[in-house]
Amino acid sequence: MSKRIIRDIPLNRVEGDLEIRVELENNRVVDAWSSGTMFRGFENILVGRGALDGLVITPRVCGICSTTHLMAAAKALDQIAAVELPDNAIRLRNVTLMVEHCQSDVRQSVLMFLPDFSTTFYSAHPLYAEAVKRYAPLAGERCIDVVRQTKTILEIIAILGGQWPHSSFMVPGGVSYVPPLSELNQCRHILKNYRQWYEKTVLGCSLQRWESVQSAADLDAWLGENAAQREGDVGFLLRFAREAGLHTLGQGHGHFLSYGSLELPGDSAVLGNCAGKQLVASGFVAKGGETQAFDQTLVAEHVAASWYADYEGGKHPFEGETVPNATGADGKKYSWSKAPRYAGLPAETGPLAERIVAGDPLFCDLLKRDGANLLTRQLARLTRPATLLPAMETWLAEMAAQPDQPYYAPVPPLKDGRGFGLVEAARGALGHWVEIRDGKIARYQIVTPTAWNGSPRDHAGMRGPWEEALIGTPIADIDNPVEAGHVIRSFDPCLVCTVHVVGADETPLRC
Amino acid sequence: MASLFWLQCGGCGGDTMSFLNSDSPDLIELFDTLGIQLLWHPSLSTVSPVEYDKLIDRIIQDEQALDILVVEGAIIRGPASTGMFDTRGGRPKKDLAAALANKAHLVVAAGTCAAFGGFGADSYTQATGLQFQKKQPGGLLGKDFRSRAGLPVVNLAGCPCHPEVIAGTLSALVAGQPLALDEFNRPLDWYGMTVHQGCTRNEYHEYRVEEWDFAQRGCLFFHKGCHGPLADGPCNKLLWNNRSSKTRAGVPCFGCTNPEFPMPSPFFETRNIEGVPIELPKGVSRAHYMVYKGMAAAAAPERLKKRETKI
Repeated sequence: MSKRIIRDIPLNRVEGDLEIRVELENNRVVDAWSSGTMFRGFENILVGRGALDGLVITPRVCGICSTTHLMAAAKALDQIAAVELPDNAIRLRNVTLMVEHCQSDVRQSVLMFLPDFSTTFYSAHPLYAEAVKRYAPLAGERCIDVVRQTKTILEIIAILGGQWPHSSFMVPGGVSYVPPLSELNQCRHILKNYRQWYEKTVLGCSLQRWESVQSAADLDAWLGENAAQREGDVGFLLRFAREAGLHTLGQGHGHFLSYGSLELPGDSAVLGNCAGKQLVASGFVAKGGETQAFDQTLVAEHVAASWYADYEGGKHPFEGETVPNATGADGKKYSWSKAPRYAGLPAETGPLAERIVAGDPLFCDLLKRDGANLLTRQLARLTRPATLLPAMETWLAEMAAQPDQPYYAPVPPLKDGRGFGLVEAARGALGHWVEIRDGKIARYQIVTPTAWNGSPRDHAGMRGPWEEALIGTPIADIDNPVEAGHVIRSFDPCLVCTVHVVGADETPLRC
Repeated sequence: MASLFWLQCGGCGGDTMSFLNSDSPDLIELFDTLGIQLLWHPSLSTVSPVEYDKLIDRIIQDEQALDILVVEGAIIRGPASTGMFDTRGGRPKKDLAAALANKAHLVVAAGTCAAFGGFGADSYTQATGLQFQKKQPGGLLGKDFRSRAGLPVVNLAGCPCHPEVIAGTLSALVAGQPLALDEFNRPLDWYGMTVHQGCTRNEYHEYRVEEWDFAQRGCLFFHKGCHGPLADGPCNKLLWNNRSSKTRAGVPCFGCTNPEFPMPSPFFETRNIEGVPIELPKGVSRAHYMVYKGMAAAAAPERLKKRETKI
C-alpha cells in the first residue's frame, strides 16, 4: 500500500530563503512546489530614481553576484546610450565578472554543496570519513582552504573596481578607472596564484590536461589516471556522488538556455566559443534538440502561481508588471518568484546549460549517457573556472601591453530610451530590462537565473526546472531530506536575487 | 566558548560574503581564537530543518545559551505590518528576530539594512533596522531595548559592512571590552572617521581639482556625488579586500554607512546651487567653505591641474 506525505522543507546553504513543498509516495517525490519566501520590492526603490542609479542599487540585490548585476545594469545603459565601448573597458569588465564566477563556483561547491557529504546521513558511505575530514563546515580541510583562497582572487576586483562585493565601477561607456601598469601586474600575479591553487587542489591537474577530457570515457580515464586527480575536489565529487548514485537524480525538463556572455574586445588573442562575438555562447536547446539562436523577445514571465496580481499568459519584461498580491492564498499561488519561460518553455540555466548550448563535447556526451543529473550539473560548475582562467590571463596581459588605451568613451546624460543588459551570472542567465524617461528610471525589470531555475508553475501549470528535477527523487528521511537538498543545490540557487527583485519594474508604461 | 547565531532577514547576503573575505584573522582563525561556537549560519551550517527548529526552541526555552546574535538584512514588516513578505515556515521572520534578540547576551546588526532598514525602509515592505528606523531610534526592538549584557544593538553600518569591522567588534565583545558607540550605536573605532580620510584623491579635494567625467583624475566630490567627506566609515583606512576602495578606483562614495542610505537624490551627481555643493563636508560652514575653496582653487599647483600625478 502506498503512503503519501506532503511536507514543507526549508532549505539552507542556498543564497536566501527557499522552501520546497514535496509530495512523497513510498518515500519518492511525486510532486514538488518551490516557494521563494521573501519579497523586498526593489521596484519602489528604482523607479523614479536617476538614470544611472541601477548601477548602485542592483548590485545590492545580491551579495554573491553583485558584479554580475552591475554588468547587466551597465550593458542596458550602454545600449540606451548607443555607445561603443573601448576594448580595454570590455576587457576590464570581463575580467572582473570572471573573477566573481571563479570565486562563486568554488565557494558554492565546497562551502554549500559538498558539506552534505559530511553529514551523518552518509555515515555508511565508504568515503564518509574522508568527506568529514574534507568538507565538515568550517572545520574540514578543504573548507578551510577554500575560505582562505577564494578571497584572494577577489582582490582583483578591488584593484580594478574598488571593492567586492557591491561596487559600481562599470558605467555607460566603460569603466570608472584607468588601472596603471603596476596594478595590472599585481592582478596578474594574484590570478596566477589562484590558477595554480585551483589546478593543484580543485582539479588535481593542469588546465591543459583537463581541456583534453572530451568525452564521458575520457572522464573515466582521467579519474583513474593518478592519485592527484582522484584526490582533487572534482575527483572526490565524482567518486563520492557516483558511489551514492547521485548521477541518477535531478534530471529536469532537459531544456537549456544561455543568454551568452563576455563580449570579445576587437583586437584580442581570445577566440569566441561560437559564431557570435562572445566567449560564452548564447542559445536555447529544447530537449534532445540542436542549439537554436537566442532571441530575447521570446522571454516572457508568468504569474499564475506567483503572489502577484494576475494577467493572462506571459509578458515580455519590457511590458511586465509587478503588483504584489500577498493575500491570494487560494492554493494556486505559492511563490514570490515569477515564472520566466522561453518560447513558452521552462528552461534550465547555469554552467551546464552554457556547455550544452555551446556544444561542449564532454558535457554533451555526459548528457547523452546520464541525462542532466545533479552530478553533471555540479561538475559543470566546479570545472567552469578552467574555461575562464586562460582568457582572463590573456585579457590582463593585453591591458598591460597597452595601458594608455582608453577605458571609457564619454556618454552624455541619458534622457530617454530603453535597453536591456543580458549576461551569464555564475548561476545562469541574468537580464535587466530598463526604460529611462526624462532622465529618470521609468521601468526596471530584472529576470534572474534563479527565477528561471526555481520558478513556480506557469499559467499552463508546467513546473519550473528544479520542481521538475525533484520528481522521482527518493527521500529516505523526511526530517533530513538530504537528497532533495542535493538536487536543488546543484542549481546553485540564489533566492536573494530572485525574491528580492522579481520584476523590479513599475506600473504599466506611461506612453 | 561563545555561541553565535547568524540570522538572515531581508538582505542580499552581502555582509556574509564580505565577512568571508576577513583577513588576519580570517573567519576560521577568528572563531578559533575567540572560541566561537557557530550554532547556525544559513550559508554554512549543515543542520537539518528539523534540528534547526529544535535549536530555536532550545534557545527560546533557555536550554541553549545564545551569547551573540548577528542579524543580517532588514527586518521586513510589510505588507500592512504583518511581516508576511518575509517568512519561515509560514511565520514572519521578524517575530523570530525579536524572540532571539530577547534571549541574546549581545546583539549585532551586520550591515546598514539590519541597522537602519536600508533598502525598502521607505517602501511598502516596511523595512526597518533592529533598533533604528533610518535615523529614528525604535525599529523592531524599541529604543529602550538592551540585550542581556545590558547593551543596545551594536550597529555595524555599511553596504556591505567591512569584514574587519565585524571581526573587530566580535573580538571586543567576546573579550568584554568596552566599545564606545556614536549616536547611531556604531562603534567609534571604525565610524569615528570619514570615508574621505585616507582617500588617495585628497589633494585634488584640497585644491578643488575636479573630476567632471568618469575615468579621470580628480576629486569626485564636486560633480560625481561623492559622499566621502560626509560619510562615517573606515573604507580608506582599512581598504577593501586588502587592496583599494571605491573612491580610489574612481567610484564615488554613496554614503552607505549613513542611516538614511540609500538617499533619494540621484547617485553620481552632486546637488549644487551655483556650483556650490548643497551638502558640504561634515562640520564645515558654508561661509568658510566659499572662501576657502575659492582660494584653494587659485592656489592649486600645476602638477595637480595638469593631472601629472599618478593618482
